Amino acid sequence: MATRAAGAVVPDHVPPSLVRDFSYFRGPEMEPTPCGHPQAALSFVHREGPAIFYAPNNTYDGRGTWVFTKAEDQRAVLNNTEVFSSNRGIFKAALGEDLPMVPLEVDPPDHMKFRALLNPLLSPRRVDAMEAGARERAVRLIEGFKAKGTCEVMNDFAFPFAVGVFLQFLGVSDDRRDEFLGWANEQFHGTLEQRLNAMRTVVDFMKSLIALRRREPADDFVSFLLAAEVEGRPLTDKEILGVAVLLFEAGLDTVAAAVGFDLYHLATHPEDQQRLRGDKDLIKPAVEELFRAYSTIQMLRTAVCDFEYKGIPIRAGDLISCPTMIANRDPAEFPDPDRIDLARDNNRHTAFAYGPHRCLGSHLARRELIVGLEEFLARIPTFRLKAGSSPITYGGYVFGIENLDLAWD
Amino acid sequence: MKIKVHHGMCQGHARCYSLAPDIFQLDDSGYILPGDIAVPAGQETLAQRGARSCPERALEVAED
Ligand code: SF4
Repeated sequence: MATRAAGAVVPDHVPPSLVRDFSYFRGPEMEPTPCGHPQAALSFVHREGPAIFYAPNNTYDGRGTWVFTKAEDQRAVLNNTEVFSSNRGIFKAALGEDLPMVPLEVDPPDHMKFRALLNPLLSPRRVDAMEAGARERAVRLIEGFKAKGTCEVMNDFAFPFAVGVFLQFLGVSDDRRDEFLGWANEQFHGTLEQRLNAMRTVVDFMKSLIALRRREPADDFVSFLLAAEVEGRPLTDKEILGVAVLLFEAGLDTVAAAVGFDLYHLATHPEDQQRLRGDKDLIKPAVEELFRAYSTIQMLRTAVCDFEYKGIPIRAGDLISCPTMIANRDPAEFPDPDRIDLARDNNRHTAFAYGPHRCLGSHLARRELIVGLEEFLARIPTFRLKAGSSPITYGGYVFGIENLDLAWD
Repeated sequence: MKIKVHHGMCQGHARCYSLAPDIFQLDDSGYILPGDIAVPAGQETLAQRGARSCPERALEVAED
């Protein structure tokens, strides 16, 4: 008989000693919390153990997951794509539409042909070419609120910046930015109904963009995909749509959240802010350290067959969660992991995951953060949290920050 | 000093390249070029830092 814990079902094969009441959605600092630190709040798992446990109610829809807390074990899972599949049918579950997010939901060996196609589009060198446009956007936004002496980072900077860079990448003109911002906002922060509507709107927009580029090719991303081939055949519309939708899903909320957490850190750690102001070369390593300390995503995998890992019985169909924010505070991997040291060396953080599915957009995301911080620090004098304001942080599938009011003299 | 490159483990993080672009060279897709790297004298520290920032453990420092 399956046992119950915290109102959720624990499958028979899970040893009761490995069940923990743990959730990314509930519990201290996972629900919206004023001035919270959701990533730090989870690092207790390294002190209390066990290194791998079962959390009975740990998804949006109330399913249980295994939680792998050590960096080494996460690496083992994420590199073993034969057992741990990345295809969860996210859109199918949400919209009833069979739309695999390519390449995230495609497992190796098929995965590699899509990655080979897409990697050059987002390679470090390609990102060099996108930097000027991203910088111009950051400067324009910052100059827009500089004189006010205050800003709300998420609405005034983080989201418009991330959305602007995405539109530039997509080759869509800037006058659609506000429309996109609205969809992004509803999709990532709306009610369930708003989320579903926004997802549909995004899918429909991408469909019409694909149709337009079929008629009128241009020098842009969708046209590139339309002309591309895998294994000697063109991509199907569904595959193109899957790529475009994935980029939207993956590139907006995550970048905006990172901008928010980084500026929140600098506003509340004036010594770190001063340090960066005094040493521009430190910005690059600092961005890596802030990615480590404020990682926002977890990788979810589904076991496709029964598998025993270090004595833990995993059954086909089990979900395995590999949270980056927890691996990145693993004391076996990082000395003094809860200390944030902007100059940290040997920083093998996993904010962009490990293995074949390593984030395709990581080089662009990293550059957006560097450019964003460089311009913010260069143009805005010493800033702090606005008096009387409290930023609300939260856990969930993508950790984030709802609002961040800053002030300067 | 030599850096052993375990090419099959590289997943294109480009962390090595971002620290030391002259030592660690990438192909157009962002993966490291195969073959061990002979580190020029005077660049040992940089090479070591680059190797130790690889999340996949694809780079191994070998003293010779
Ligand atoms: S850091 Fe590692 S994974 Fe990344 S490019 Fe260099 S060798 Fe490859």
